[in-house]
Amino acid sequence: MIAHEYSRERVAELLADAPEDELVDLADACLADGIELAVLTAPEVGSVAAQVREPIAHDHFFLGDVLACRAEVSLGGVRGWAMRLGDNRSATLAAAICDAEIVAERPQAVRVLELCARVEEIRRLAEADEWAQLAPTIVQFEELT
Amino acid sequence: MGYSGARGGLDAILAAESLVRGARNQDPAPWLTTEQITGRMRLAVDRVMGEGSLYHEETAADALRQAEGDVIEATHLVRAHQSTLPRLAVSEPIDPDEMVVLRRIVPAHRTPDGPQLLGRTSDYTGRILDRNAGPDGSTVTENEVDRAERDLSQRHPRRFSEMLREMDLMVDSRPVDGQLPESPFDLSRHPARPPAPRSAILASMARAETGSLIGTWYRSILGPEGNIHEVTLGEVRHGRLPLRVTHPHTGKPLQLGYIRASECEAIEDLDGPDEDRGRFDVGYGLCFGHNERKAIAMANLDIACRRFGDADGLEQVLLLTTDGLDSCGFLEHLKLPHYVTFRSMIDRKRAVRGVDGGIDEIAERHTEPIGRTC
Repeated sequence: MIAHEYSRERVAELLADAPEDELVDLADACLADGIELAVLTAPEVGSVAAQVREPIAHDHFFLGDVLACRAEVSLGGVRGWAMRLGDNRSATLAAAICDAEIVAERPQAVRVLELCARVEEIRRLAEADEWAQLAPTIVQFEELT
Repeated sequence: MGYSGARGGLDAILAAESLVRGARNQDPAPWLTTEQITGRMRLAVDRVMGEGSLYHEETAADALRQAEGDVIEATHLVRAHQSTLPRLAVSEPIDPDEMVVLRRIVPAHRTPDGPQLLGRTSDYTGRILDRNAGPDGSTVTENEVDRAERDLSQRHPRRFSEMLREMDLMVDSRPVDGQLPESPFDLSRHPARPPAPRSAILASMARAETGSLIGTWYRSILGPEGNIHEVTLGEVRHGRLPLRVTHPHTGKPLQLGYIRASECEAIEDLDGPDEDRGRFDVGYGLCFGHNERKAIAMANLDIACRRFGDADGLEQVLLLTTDGLDSCGFLEHLKLPHYVTFRSMIDRKRAVRGVDGGIDEIAERHTEPIGRTC
């Protein structure tokens, strides 16, 4: 069993943010040993209805739709699933294959987990960089008299 | 309504459309890429996403290019595209308290919990047309902010209305424990008609045409209804909200990514005879992208609608007249052939006057037309 700290949901979240070229390369590597692949749900572009619980009266309302793409595969009988914001079909299909690779604990699972770790680090750096640019705009307004 | 069925003219119609395509696509200027539009016209892109009710920057940008920069037309294209999409999921309820702020202003308090973060704005500087603007390699200027004040926790500041709650200065409209929230009204499936739940009004405003919403708000300030007054803004935010769906294999939520949104709280001073005059109430606005004007108008109109919506028709106005597709669609249809309807109007006029010069007969019956002597 491959030991790792990522939950299935966390893997899906990080793969949903991974660069397309890395995902596709990795999915190709997953399939290189000839494992049987069945596409259960071909990459389908659609929408996710964004539901909000507003903070004043806790009423729920729909803010609008968000474009997303999902796919599901069976890799040697093990199901993998992915959903990703936007309309990138190839990245979504590749993410579903990578998900199944981890669930099935197949040979490329470690590489998929390494990709997840890289995505986490890229996110952390991007947020730190963004905050470094935003923080200088913190203002202390003077009291008007 | 009866419109004339216009027949013929197909060649002219195709030629007219060809003029649009040709002039747009074969203009000698360099092609406007999707990335250019999302990168340099972000506020227009955000507006199209919000009014089109579909969050995807590239789709909105492509629509803007096809519409030659006409926001309403781009919104039309996006909404039509959205209507063809299957719904893959309904998100877990988004909690706006999880917003990662890119900008956060509290006009009601000088030192609220968390920072007053100006973010990306020119609100406080003079705006002068710069016709020589271009890529200049400018970067963010480092100022003298104490680095100790830069704490990532500041990106999740506590909202101002929570301070009011703590001070027992805010009407508590939250459901009692155990009370399940109403299912939100789904505008994409059913048209909203008064009386409608608040979820329908909030959803209508979230996708309303920005100018229409601002116009409605301004009328509520200065117009004959005058039902908005003494409003102070608690929060104005722009930031990222996590979007989560349920994982189909585990049944647990997973975060698909972030969407950017603008948020506003509008604090209303209650003064009605049946209202709690010792407390404030708060209106709420939230819309896709960076569109603070819309969020502010929405928050103000939310509280106005909760207080007076049934009485003065504001609910009806918000539900039925602020959608840009509806209003502009109706306006634009006036350009279509109306020959039959207008011919019938002419016929009616002639009938009223009496056929073939019966005007004298009418004049005899109305010797003192209204307005002539007043």
